[in-house]
Amino acid sequence: MEAPNLIAAVQALQPDATVRAQSDRPTLIVPAHALVALATRLRDDPALRFDLLETHTAVDWLDEDRLELLYLLTSVPLGHHLTLSVSVDRDAPVVPTLCKVYPIAEWLEREAYDMFGILYDDHPDLRRLFLEDDWVGFPLRKDYEDDFMLERPE
Amino acid sequence: MGVITDNLPGVLEPLPGGSVLVTAVDQLINWSRSNSLWPLTFGTSCCAIEMMMATGAARHDMARFGAEVARPSPRQADLLVIAGTIVKRMAPRLRTLYEQMAEPRYVMATGSCAICGGPFMYHSYTTIRGADEIIPVDVYVPGCPPRPEAFFYGLLTLQKMIREGESIRHPGERRRPVLAALPEGMTLDDIRKEMQDLLSHDANVNMTEAAAEGAHYSAELKDF
Repeated sequence: MEAPNLIAAVQALQPDATVRAQSDRPTLIVPAHALVALATRLRDDPALRFDLLETHTAVDWLDEDRLELLYLLTSVPLGHHLTLSVSVDRDAPVVPTLCKVYPIAEWLEREAYDMFGILYDDHPDLRRLFLEDDWVGFPLRKDYEDDFMLERPE
Repeated sequence: MGVITDNLPGVLEPLPGGSVLVTAVDQLINWSRSNSLWPLTFGTSCCAIEMMMATGAARHDMARFGAEVARPSPRQADLLVIAGTIVKRMAPRLRTLYEQMAEPRYVMATGSCAICGGPFMYHSYTTIRGADEIIPVDVYVPGCPPRPEAFFYGLLTLQKMIREGESIRHPGERRRPVLAALPEGMTLDDIRKEMQDLLSHDANVNMTEAAAEGAHYSAELKDF
């Protein structure tokens, strides 16, 4: 499905989804509470069939005091792509988990928790993935600092 | 081998002409060690890919220097090539691998990351700034990643170090680490020539020279 048709089709399912400007792929901004229901419908709708969660990652927008979660969906049989963007508060980053819809989300969300400290509601096993279990802080946040880091001398 | 190298100097040295013999045994042992460097199958990032292409492919095959038998077990390996970034979680594993290797063991640090942390030196929460913070390094090979010639220059430097610097009189004593940077103005042809000279030197025995050396040794032995 072509990008404009795709956006229209998804907006028919989720009317409050808005198009994110400056995106290479068709990207829709959706509210956090609607995420699981929308992902389930995107996966099961015969015209969309988004059967693959390619990756899930986050962006720390420090100035705007929010974390942007990105879900990159792909339909293998239909060959189209869609990105879902969910924004959460930096201080209380709680979103529902997508594990029930896409099992791969379990580890992708563990990684996002490891690096950004995003808390996934109802996640079965929310532990650190790459860093040590006793690590303090979330290193991919823009304001992360620890004793090990070196500042570049001017 | 361990029994021989441990006990031989003590047995031979008091004998008349013993120290000449120990030197001869040294030469033999160093020659065999430098020509049978078995590297450990260990690589952490992009330098490892470069190293595999440099060591395995036809043009720069490491087999010419007796070093092609990459061993997956550290207990059978002599040479640890640190090719790539070492992060905090890898550091204890690297230390364990190094400690599992039997003496004598040699370490080459190839690439900027293994030498100093490279591009991840600043603002990194996890990259170790140089593998020598974890284990002692014998030869540093600069580059990001090093070209195959640079890698082989490092290997030749290590072989030179082993041949010239070791003695069973002082087991475990190491030479200071060296930076095996390609000298300025050195071209690929120069390195190829050096490799060829080295290989032809090792593969051929000059009977006249060998006889002269033998005569020299027997003359020294007669003095005792």
